[in-house]
Amino acid sequence: MTEFLLSDDLARAMIAHAQQEYPKECCGVLAGPEHGTARKAYPLRNVDPDPVMRYAADPKQLKTVSDELFDLDHEVLCVYHSHTHTPAFPSTTDVDRASYPDAVYAIISLVDRAAPDLRAFRILEGRIEELPVVRPSEEPA
Amino acid sequence: MSIEVRIPTVLRKHTEGEKAVRGSGSTIREVLSDLDGQHAGLSGALIDADGGLQRFINMYLNDEDVRYLAQLDTPVKDGDIISILPAVAGGH
Repeated sequence: MTEFLLSDDLARAMIAHAQQEYPKECCGVLAGPEHGTARKAYPLRNVDPDPVMRYAADPKQLKTVSDELFDLDHEVLCVYHSHTHTPAFPSTTDVDRASYPDAVYAIISLVDRAAPDLRAFRILEGRIEELPVVRPSEEPA
Repeated sequence: MSIEVRIPTVLRKHTEGEKAVRGSGSTIREVLSDLDGQHAGLSGALIDADGGLQRFINMYLNDEDVRYLAQLDTPVKDGDIISILPAVAGGH
């Protein structure tokens, strides 16, 4: 994987979720066919006891989403969350808790709420690799 | 007794790519132990050194989070589904 294909609709959905939850961190997943492009956003409730500093998706809601994905034969392709007071780069906690090595980790920074910054990463065995975010229409033919 | 166990992408390297496998036993722990015979390394990825569920792994028996049941010693019955989901978590 050398880039993250992300539609405008899904980018807008993630940013809107981040704005809605501010100053708490938002979290959710994007899903679609394995090795394909994300088709749908699943916003999840952040149930971490300190939601301004951390995120933990509601396990019950995650299970409901997972059941839908199993039936659709879709996979979690991206895990997203917001940083409300720091740049869009994985923190030590993000790396420590990253449990989807096959997925893209997208982070929306709201340090400047008027200009949200969305960046994408792979987090693999503690290593961080940034991926360019590319609109599907920009994909080379 | 045959129990379906749904496997997340990250653990399918232990199941030859299968997203669901079947094991037998009377508790979740026994089912995982049975599966380990067929799919080496699977239970090691789920159970920590103290015999509990690994950090940042959610496990469900049907719709119930096993942390609110008897964890890995939760009894299972024919037709049950065990689902394994890595946690979605992080922070500053």
